[in-house]
Amino acid sequence: MHGNIWVVQNPQGSAQSMALVIRFQVRPSITITMTESGESSDQPRSNSLFRGLQVLLADDDDVNRAVTRKLLEKLGCTVSAVSSGFECLSAIGPASSPFQIVILELQMPELDGFEVAIRIRKYRSRSWPLIVAMTASGDEDVWKKCSQIGMNGVIRKPVLLQEIAIELRKVLVQANKVV
Amino acid sequence: MDVVQLQRQLVDYRASLYHEAFLDEQFTQLQELQDENNPDFVVEVVSLFFEDSERLLNELTKALEQQSIDFKRLDAHVHQLKGSSSSIGAQRVQKVCIAFRNDCEEQNVEGCLKCLQQVKHEYSLVKTKLETMFKLEQQILAAGGSVPM
Repeated sequence: MHGNIWVVQNPQGSAQSMALVIRFQVRPSITITMTESGESSDQPRSNSLFRGLQVLLADDDDVNRAVTRKLLEKLGCTVSAVSSGFECLSAIGPASSPFQIVILELQMPELDGFEVAIRIRKYRSRSWPLIVAMTASGDEDVWKKCSQIGMNGVIRKPVLLQEIAIELRKVLVQANKVV
Repeated sequence: MDVVQLQRQLVDYRASLYHEAFLDEQFTQLQELQDENNPDFVVEVVSLFFEDSERLLNELTKALEQQSIDFKRLDAHVHQLKGSSSSIGAQRVQKVCIAFRNDCEEQNVEGCLKCLQQVKHEYSLVKTKLETMFKLEQQILAAGGSVPM
């Protein structure tokens, strides 16, 4: 990190004091407004963390898509919903995408959530947009696979408002820390 | 019947649906999601559920009538039905789907046929119950009252 480290020795030769200089580069931060406390409150709707968050939702099931969409909108997100893996990839596009988070049902016909995530991480970016899986499976192997592929979080179905809020907040906070 | 009586009827009816496990907390969440921006949200989602389920039940029936049964396809349909029924809180339908998936995995034809019967039965029960509930809500609104939460 282009820094320096030195030790001031005392007459006996052992370290008296040490100094460490590290140079950091100032980088633009993600523009996400965060509340002071990271705790989940009993009113996730009032959290400004989600307001205006651009979310892409991919789920082939009409009922699930309608419900999840409404849950996200209730949190304040702006949601675009698609019903297949292919549509999801098209919506994200080759260049910079307007979406900050992609929420992906894992089990979709033709092109499943895993495949979509693999392609996003390979061809678009290793870290953006954030990808959150949705699955009815409680299988730990499934979750492990998700994280190996480069997904940032997992939401268990059937989806409850509080759980989406907690998982999304966790994912956003982690992302903010890394950058 | 006056508004207060209708409202009481509705509250009791809803309570019985939860008590008899026709509906669970997911359905409560649906109701909580309904607001001024989406005043018909519950009815819309439930209608979607009815359409999807009927299509899936048809597919399941057809699939089980084949000479050589495609269990993978069968399982995929049941998985879908399980997913959507669980999203709206149709607990009894969801439960049968879980058993149904086991039979698919074991390629147990007789088990699958039984499950199909059961799931059709549970579906038609919950459909009737929900339609009755919506009708009550409509009656309350028509009488000038508001639907209790």
